[in-house]
Amino acid sequence: MERRDFIKISALSGVMATLEGCRSAEKQLIRFVPEEELIPGIATIKPSVCTVCSAGCGLLVRVMQGEAEVVRHGQQGLIKMGLAKKLEGNPQHPVNQGKLCARGQASLQLLYHPDRITHPIKRIGPRGSGEFQAISWDDALKEVSAHLGTLQASGSANSLAFLSRPLSGQRGELITKFLKTYGAPPPGWYQPFDEAVLRQANLLSFGHAALPTFDLASADYVICFGADFLGTWNSPVAQSIGYGEMRQGRPGRRAKLVQIEARMSQTGANADEWIACRPGMEGVLALGIAHIILAEKLAPQGAGSRPGPLIAGWQEGLPGYAPEAVEKQTGVSAVVIKRLAHELTQSGSAVAMIGGPPLAHTNGLFNALAVNALESLVDKQSVLSFTPQVGDAAPVQASLAALHGLSAQPPQMLLLYEANPVFSAPPSARVREALAKIPYIVSFGSFIDETSAQADLILPDHAALESWVDNVAESGSSRAVASLAPPAVLPLHDTRPMADVLLGLGRQLGGEVAKALPWATYDAMLRAAFVPLRTRPGSIDVKTDDDFWDAAQTQGGWWSSTSTTPPGAAVKRAPLSAASPEFAGAAADFPFYFLPYVSQSFGDGSLAHLPWLQELPDVLTSAMWSSWVEINPKTGDRLGIKQGDLVEIASQQGTVRAAAVLSPGIAPDMVAMPVGQGHENFTRFASGRGANPLSILAPLTEQETGSLAWAATRVKIARAGGPEQARLVLFAGGMSGFPHEEQPR
Amino acid sequence: MAHKWGMVVDLDRCTGCEACVVACHAENNIPTAGEDQAARGRAKHWIRVERYWEGDFPNPRVRFQPVLCQQCDEAPCEPVCPTYASYHTPEGLNSQVYNRCIGTRFCANACPYNVRFFNFYNPEWDKPLQLQLNPDVSVRSVGVMEKCTFCVQRIKAAEIQAEAEKRELKDGEFTTACAQSCASKALIFGDLNDSTSEVARLASSNRGTKLLGELGTKPNVTYLERGTWEDANHG
Amino acid sequence: MRMLRGWRRGLLVVLVCACAWGVVGIVFPRRATRASGAAGYVTPGVFTPAHPSAFAAVKDFVDIHPEHPVQPIAYTHKVHLAKGLPCTFCHVGVDQGPEARIPGVTVCMSCHQSIATDRPEIKKIAAYQARGEEIPWVRVYNYSESAHVRFNHAPHIRAGVDCAACHSDLTKQTTAERKIDLNMGFCINCHTQKKVSIDCETCHY
Repeated sequence: MERRDFIKISALSGVMATLEGCRSAEKQLIRFVPEEELIPGIATIKPSVCTVCSAGCGLLVRVMQGEAEVVRHGQQGLIKMGLAKKLEGNPQHPVNQGKLCARGQASLQLLYHPDRITHPIKRIGPRGSGEFQAISWDDALKEVSAHLGTLQASGSANSLAFLSRPLSGQRGELITKFLKTYGAPPPGWYQPFDEAVLRQANLLSFGHAALPTFDLASADYVICFGADFLGTWNSPVAQSIGYGEMRQGRPGRRAKLVQIEARMSQTGANADEWIACRPGMEGVLALGIAHIILAEKLAPQGAGSRPGPLIAGWQEGLPGYAPEAVEKQTGVSAVVIKRLAHELTQSGSAVAMIGGPPLAHTNGLFNALAVNALESLVDKQSVLSFTPQVGDAAPVQASLAALHGLSAQPPQMLLLYEANPVFSAPPSARVREALAKIPYIVSFGSFIDETSAQADLILPDHAALESWVDNVAESGSSRAVASLAPPAVLPLHDTRPMADVLLGLGRQLGGEVAKALPWATYDAMLRAAFVPLRTRPGSIDVKTDDDFWDAAQTQGGWWSSTSTTPPGAAVKRAPLSAASPEFAGAAADFPFYFLPYVSQSFGDGSLAHLPWLQELPDVLTSAMWSSWVEINPKTGDRLGIKQGDLVEIASQQGTVRAAAVLSPGIAPDMVAMPVGQGHENFTRFASGRGANPLSILAPLTEQETGSLAWAATRVKIARAGGPEQARLVLFAGGMSGFPHEEQPR
Repeated sequence: MAHKWGMVVDLDRCTGCEACVVACHAENNIPTAGEDQAARGRAKHWIRVERYWEGDFPNPRVRFQPVLCQQCDEAPCEPVCPTYASYHTPEGLNSQVYNRCIGTRFCANACPYNVRFFNFYNPEWDKPLQLQLNPDVSVRSVGVMEKCTFCVQRIKAAEIQAEAEKRELKDGEFTTACAQSCASKALIFGDLNDSTSEVARLASSNRGTKLLGELGTKPNVTYLERGTWEDANHG
Repeated sequence: MRMLRGWRRGLLVVLVCACAWGVVGIVFPRRATRASGAAGYVTPGVFTPAHPSAFAAVKDFVDIHPEHPVQPIAYTHKVHLAKGLPCTFCHVGVDQGPEARIPGVTVCMSCHQSIATDRPEIKKIAAYQARGEEIPWVRVYNYSESAHVRFNHAPHIRAGVDCAACHSDLTKQTTAERKIDLNMGFCINCHTQKKVSIDCETCHY
């Protein structure tokens, strides 16, 4: 090549290289003046309240300065602001005493989630298309106000509906008051795994329509029928604290845990003795044990005399529950039943509890009343009690009733808050069809999910850490607990707290609504509710209301002085006879019991969009980012299903497909699937991932409460493909078969 | 006396809830691998809960075992590192110095506990998830090995604070993220050289064992055996 | 060199251009938005410790940094220190935590809403505040990311280390200048002299 050519070629390449380089320069972002004074590198600790489950644990939020990309007055820029870095339990809080569960820790990702709705959006495409357009708060609120005004003016105020997850504390009060003074029916409280059966049973057996509280730290013997009390049931952190103490917190005294269930749960994994019982027969088993205790007079005189008679045959000594008969029905041997009866009554302090799948049968209430009767027979030291309440207890209502209302009489306008029934309700509830009949739907959600995707307008709520939060603990403490916290961080996006929006709409409406809700902002309403607690003996001892309000905010709430509310008198009513659980699907066609279960990772499915939880290895199988179905290895052998194969599970209602996990912890005639995956539309992390077991549940309900009997579905299963199609991801090590080896010390 | 950081894991208290796993992710800027990388075995759980199944239905048994870096006195990962990125600190920690690490991965190979995790790619956080990142902890980039540090950032912060206040560190004044979240108090962290500390008391329990102790790694994590009901009655 | 004719020359041109394009692609990769996972979610950006380009990575590794960066406001330490302003008036937190805070525009205006308001630089500051904008100061002191250094100011201040020891004499500086080479040797020397820990984990964790 000649020099000239070489120079030409080099020059050409050089010019092209430079041009390439020019294109990639980044735009300088404007830096806004911070809205708060923070010293970088130094953390401030602020109280908050965890809203992820009903336990209502107290939080401490570690806030540090950082730089966030925000939009202010339509301009994009950077701002130095306090950022929430870590959540810890609040050591002062009576429920969780400084501890926090996996889902509570992960809830931090709700605040900085990449798919949060950052400003109000209005639907522009057909319903469910996901086509939304930005709209200003002013315009959005004008539109909602107009709808509300028109509805009220035209005499159709009773055609407004509000569907929300059950809310304790003042948010529930606010919504209830708003609807009442507006002239609308009461709010529909919906959650997929409601505890209506247990609350009703506790009302009948003990006079308290509430979830139970257990002082496990004082127990010597715990017999638990199906409740995953160390995992997800009731107040798991408080219960885990008590569990640790009952195991190794008292030198020389270690409690025994007996778990009775058809599928090994996380709690069952920790039991000293795990007893497999036929599904739906847990009540019969409890009464079998009670029969022995009564027959051999192993309990003190008068024990069980109050809740006992709620069971037919109790006064006669439960003649239908002799051990041999119970063995036939439950599959638990008579020898074991007798031994349990003796162990329970010989131990210093015993408690019997029930929760989860045994209540999710058509005879769930009977099972609960039976275990409650056994509990009162054996609990000599009041391990069971009820958390004193602040204000009135919420009424017992089965969640399905809220959905039936929507279908039976479609309202003209629906307000949605923290509920996703399109995903979590059984197909028989026909939620999608019901929503299609409602002309105007407004959601306060922070994320697009299956239900909020059907909305016409979305007014995104603040994240919990950006809001005033409050909660009244229903269980988990011997003190009355009213948690409270101001926002821990300033809002990141152009969102507004639902409570303030509702108060604003009330003011616009005027009349009775404005009168009943005179507060400009939610914290004013909270203050009005909290300040009367000053005169009750409790954790804050000050002279003025202002001081009380300040102290409550700093502490994370108010709690009463220690007291216990023991179980009260049973309600007098006709004794209930045993009823066998009914299942949907003939055993010949659908040979397997189907158990959807609440997992540590996703709760009831509402947390599947958090990446930390998707990546959390499932407690019992180590699966991540996946959906799976637990199948007994012998069943797998028989049907030619190997670990990781794709399996099709079919009920009368529909089919789902998931990867098979062979587990010795499940009966050969049962299969189980975790709840939470199978979202068709729920952020980038959960959309199109796995399968939703709730979508094939039968419409059977508990006889008396009408609560969904989610353990009453039968299915058939068949291999549908190999591991490449199933895509099961297990964390390294998986479910190892090697026993724990003991090493020389 | 110099501190010697250690931990006790009480297997009788551990419920397998994995609060420790998420707490660790949140505290230590551990990147989320995502489905594809997790399927390749690259999920980084500095502390993990192992589950061991025995027996068949209707008598299955599960045992949970939290496993984290054992901070071994005779750590096999230390002599194999060609750049001294893995070394033993005077306070008994096995420290990973990210800027020295050149990614040979000999240390992960040598570690019998499988507690070392390599950054095979540059981690990414979909904005604004990165706002949660802990400013007290390094964000590791590609080619660097990482593992449990016993929350060294917390140890350092507590030591600096104690020095500023001209006093000794108190037992229980601070703890690791995993132990702080553990509801059943299965994880106890502290100074093994402080004879009054809870970790020193529990580490000498007759229920104590060491994980893979026969390899001679001399771990500073002591596991307390899970009990049986009969134990309580017979003392 | 033998002369290349015809198609061979053309091929050579194409090959060289392709190499140049490839090299530039590595040196200046683009990262703006990316589609992530399902349902067409597009992230507004991704945070990563990766350097934006190979050139930037090399700069960071070799620790190239300007000695006296140009600042948006011609601030003078000389003048303010001469007037007796203590360092901690603006650089709050240096004795409490790891960082010495660069003051926000509100701090400047706390005095300059009434002092020297006619000066053009002061007018600039006032204009920033009026716009609700922070002054975009350019960072002078930093460690390269790959060094993973966790420097903490507070113990140094408490130990009586003078600001000038690392930041050189600010009474002679206008905007900050990085006169002292803050390499690891510099830190180790002082630590050795003062008999403070030189264990790796003291600073690198």
